[in-house]
Amino acid sequence: MRFLFLVIASLTLGIAVGQVYSPNFGNAYEITLYVLIFLIGMDLGLNFNGEELRKLGREALTLPIKTLVGSILGGLVASLLLGIEPKWGLAIGAGCGWYSLTGPLIAQYSAVYGAVGFLGNLMREILTITLYPVAIRRIDPEKAVAMGGATTMDTTLPVITKFGGRKVSLVAFVHGFILTSVVPFVVPLILSL
Amino acid sequence: MNVFIPLVIGVLLGYILRRGEMKLNVEIPVSVAMLAMIFFLGVKTGEVQVNGLWLLGISTLFAVATIAGSLLLALGVRT
Repeated sequence: MRFLFLVIASLTLGIAVGQVYSPNFGNAYEITLYVLIFLIGMDLGLNFNGEELRKLGREALTLPIKTLVGSILGGLVASLLLGIEPKWGLAIGAGCGWYSLTGPLIAQYSAVYGAVGFLGNLMREILTITLYPVAIRRIDPEKAVAMGGATTMDTTLPVITKFGGRKVSLVAFVHGFILTSVVPFVVPLILSL
Repeated sequence: MNVFIPLVIGVLLGYILRRGEMKLNVEIPVSVAMLAMIFFLGVKTGEVQVNGLWLLGISTLFAVATIAGSLLLALGVRT
């Protein structure tokens, strides 16, 4: 939760600096993006564990696929409602809540839609943290994991574990893990179309 | 530069390190890089004249639509 505040502070400070000073940082943004992508890849390579996937049933493994497809369709619907080029909506939806990756990736093509990709996915995380405990009163806690998208293996996992229970936490972790492994490939793929 | 290049290099390097049983925690470097990149993203956004309320409004719509889309499809899954 503290990191979320740091993220919001960092973004707000950046926007303020950009509006007031319009500084020229060269390609510092692209460099930090590539460093981050490299570190994310390294983290995936260091921690991939096939055993955890085998512990769960096949049906639980299909949940992330449905989450991703549903999220992309949701992004498409939103872009059609707003009259935005569908490519941006598809890319924002494919982010599955991973704001720190989706925003910068889209910003390579458009600063404005990069900001929308960032904020839209950040709000998805915030909404999941606040609404998951309410949603599971009506929806199966395991299915409601889909709300969090890729964040269910880290930032939203504590809320899901606290309110959904220990069994749901394993589903949530694997769900987030699979999406975290897929999203870095899907978003650039959509943007390159 | 294509983002796949650093991603694939990172995955391969991480895998090689794991095979060599080297323990490495990248959590702090990831956090630092992320905050720096978000700051630069903010600078880029700040340089563009955007209506803040418009940005907030469409971001909220995207958040709600993507959550709803995921939930709707997930409700058909038996876990």
